[in-house]
Amino acid sequence: MKKRKDVVYGIYNDEHDLLNAVRSAKDKGLEIMDVYSPFPVHGLDPLLGLKESRLHIAGFFYGMIGTLTAFLGMTWIFTKDWPIIFGGKPYWAVPSFIPITFELTVLFSAIGMTISFYVVSGMGFGVDNFVLDERISDDKFCLAFDKEEVEVSDAKEFLESTNVEEIHEKVVKA
Amino acid sequence: MNRFEFSGKLKTTLLIGIVIGIVSLVLEYFVYSDGVHSMFWGDILLNNAYFIGMALMALFVMSAFITAWTGWYTVFKRLLEAFNAYLIPGAVIMLILALGNYFGWHHLYLWADSNFAEHDEVISGKSGFLNKNMYLLATVVFVGLWLLWRYKIRTLSLKEDAGVKGDYSYHRTMRNWAATFLPLAGYTSAIMIWLWLMSVEPHWYSTMYAWYTSSSWFAGSWSLLILVMIYLKSKGYFDKVTKEHIHDMGKYLFAFSIFWAYLFFDQYMLIWFGNVGEETTHFKLQQTEYPFLFFSVLVLNFIVPFLGLMINTAKKSYWILGSVAVLTFLGHWLDIYLQVKPYVAEATAELTGQQHHVFPFPNIVEFGVMIGFLSLFLFVTFKCLSKANLVPENDPYLEESLHHHV
Repeated sequence: MKKRKDVVYGIYNDEHDLLNAVRSAKDKGLEIMDVYSPFPVHGLDPLLGLKESRLHIAGFFYGMIGTLTAFLGMTWIFTKDWPIIFGGKPYWAVPSFIPITFELTVLFSAIGMTISFYVVSGMGFGVDNFVLDERISDDKFCLAFDKEEVEVSDAKEFLESTNVEEIHEKVVKA
Repeated sequence: MNRFEFSGKLKTTLLIGIVIGIVSLVLEYFVYSDGVHSMFWGDILLNNAYFIGMALMALFVMSAFITAWTGWYTVFKRLLEAFNAYLIPGAVIMLILALGNYFGWHHLYLWADSNFAEHDEVISGKSGFLNKNMYLLATVVFVGLWLLWRYKIRTLSLKEDAGVKGDYSYHRTMRNWAATFLPLAGYTSAIMIWLWLMSVEPHWYSTMYAWYTSSSWFAGSWSLLILVMIYLKSKGYFDKVTKEHIHDMGKYLFAFSIFWAYLFFDQYMLIWFGNVGEETTHFKLQQTEYPFLFFSVLVLNFIVPFLGLMINTAKKSYWILGSVAVLTFLGHWLDIYLQVKPYVAEATAELTGQQHHVFPFPNIVEFGVMIGFLSLFLFVTFKCLSKANLVPENDPYLEESLHHHV
């Protein structure tokens, strides 16, 4: 795997300009390396051809693990391991297990999805990811081309033809 | 097609449905007679309470949407308006029930029987609220207020349609009516639920009951709304309603099913854990004599929509969403059935001294009555729908609704 990437990118002020630029880049057949935005831009995913995330399916299974852990755990504790009578209820008091089962379901699916998300997108403690431009986490939108995929002159010409604010070139760690 | 045409074929089908309902009611009056005709009156109460509640919730949902500046629903706003048309026949039937209670035509409520109530300490303690005057007065005044608000919101909406585009004055006035309806419907629906439904079991009460029943109304209303929408779309109406709108309607059904389950569980667990004799009687009767109904209500109203509508492709599929909506519609009817009929049967046994009558599942005649009320509901809905343009052209939020995308 190559360690460095040579990038040409344009900075936009508005998400509509970004969407229009992405649309015309698709029309011209330019290979887009990536698009960066401080917030989810409506309609961008289908334009870039991104598939729907499968994170929620994973979340369902994490939730099921939580349900089973809580319910079977309490069943084992209160019927086999340490049976105690609470308020005259039977050992296996299903209704009183439901709140905790619900809570562990939510907890497991939330934590599981967070960890999955971090692993899948390569984030986490000690991971040093490149940042193309500090401002894309604030108020700017960015459309980036890889110099290996697109000719520099083509990319620049294209970016200038759109409603772009600034054009930069940068070498980043991939 | 911006106007719904109430075709003769559909009309005939619904009229046949109404006739089935009437025949079933007549059968109940004569065949299942126990001296006080508890089957007959009980079924009128059960069905009318369910359908008037769904009409009320359609109005409530619409008012909430108007108040919250909601845009996405505007394209099918007329359907919600048409849904609350049942408030009119529902009010008439409720008035008959209330008058019947006043003049002693029926004996659905133990507390209304003066001989019984006098010697019962619990009931006479509640007589400040549970009495015939209160029942009649609340029915007339509160349902009358609902009708007034419905009339105001509907006429303003029609006036807006007849006016010019860009004139938002009607919408501003409508917003005042909608915003005031929210607290009004919130309090009065709870009082009506106590009087109409909870008081069939006058010794028992639960502070969650009104919430619980209105969540049934909400979910039932959304399931029927989805089914009618699917039917109208199959006939070529509402072509501007996209999968995105259907998806959001599915989300509401999903959300209110979970809300229902939450309230069911809250009420159940507190009573089960508290284990106080006066409170547990309610569930003891359901679980010992109607266990099948008790658990099928839980499955139909929670498990089915929860697992069936969880993934978003299911909410966008007419087949899956439609089948789930049929099941939840029936499930919430069965739920109200379970809240009413067993206790009416118990009260009847107490009053007449006859054997306690147990019917573990609604029989075919009771389903017939439900079909009759459903047909009446759909008849007035379609009638109201055919009177105005399907898409409110001058609604300020129409443009937003047409571009609704999630």
